[in-house]
Amino acid sequence: MILIHINNIPQSLTEPTSLAAVILGQNIALDSVAIVLNAEVVPRNRWQSILCQHEDKLELFSAVAGG
Amino acid sequence: MPNMSTNKQLYNGETVSGKTLSDADFMRYSRQVLLPEVGEAGQLQLADACVAIIGLGGLGQLAAQYLACAGVGNLILIDMDKVEVSNLPRQLLFNDGDIGLNKARVAKRKLNNLAPHCTVTAHETAFNAETHADQLADVLLAKQQGKRVLVLDCTDNFATRQSINRCCIEAALPLVSASIAAFSGQLFAVDQMQLPSGGCYQCIFPAQTRVSQSCGTQGVLGSSVGVMASMQSLVAMQLLLSMDSDCDKAQNSLLGHFWRFDAKSLVWTSAALTRDPHCNVCGSKELHPSFNMHSKLHSMEI
Repeated sequence: MILIHINNIPQSLTEPTSLAAVILGQNIALDSVAIVLNAEVVPRNRWQSILCQHEDKLELFSAVAGG
Repeated sequence: MPNMSTNKQLYNGETVSGKTLSDADFMRYSRQVLLPEVGEAGQLQLADACVAIIGLGGLGQLAAQYLACAGVGNLILIDMDKVEVSNLPRQLLFNDGDIGLNKARVAKRKLNNLAPHCTVTAHETAFNAETHADQLADVLLAKQQGKRVLVLDCTDNFATRQSINRCCIEAALPLVSASIAAFSGQLFAVDQMQLPSGGCYQCIFPAQTRVSQSCGTQGVLGSSVGVMASMQSLVAMQLLLSMDSDCDKAQNSLLGHFWRFDAKSLVWTSAALTRDPHCNVCGSKELHPSFNMHSKLHSMEI
């Protein structure tokens, strides 16, 4: 069992899962968010190739463009 | 200690030996000059600096006031919008009598009163591929002259933010970007010359990103905008002041970070930026120090 945290909410994964698959599993469109993985922004091009590890902390957020 | 000369070494190897602050400037900026991180040399560097502020809305109008009043010598203000009544609760530089007038023009007039030693240039045009060469020519010229330069993104839409990012990468200009909508603020500083590993805005949010958050559609509190503008100004001041060897650590702690602010809980969250090697803005091509400033800059070079 792999336990991760998405925006401080615990979530368990039954098998190694990519960042992209985790986001899609949340019903979130890949082109609508950015990901911070363990306090580091992960460029979108790497989401398919990075598998979540036990105790990973993910933060998902959308772009804010107002000013 | 008025008219105290200094030999403090600047980032480009020159010194400010011989240059001194006037007695009046010592009085005006005394609270800043007292800081060891500023001092007389830092204040003189600010007077030489050139900062472009793109967008004179809630963020830009406050950042412009902070920087002008702090002694930044040259401000380039860029905005095509006019003051509207719905701006007034958060854009405190403007008042009812300014409604219908161009924001950059009004800001220039008011900053001339607030900070008479600041040279303010107003561009009443949109920032886009056709206009940016002319709008940023003075910044590029100052950079060529070894002065400290900075671009502040204070705009209100994603497309322009992408355009500003691309322009700063191509021209190798440092960028401090802030944004706010509803209760969510974002802030980051990138500089391809100082910290290329930090990547750029496109590495975080590629151009095809879907964006829904804007002040016009989601609303915002003026004080939330003020927090983001103050933080953006604080980052800008530190970058303008901290490029000498004494302050490398402070500078590096500001570049390459992405901060998010939750204006409900007042919690700031920081993350490190990483460059996307496949980024089509900063990842795959070399910098363009000879950025095509075809109009003003070229004529000045001749």
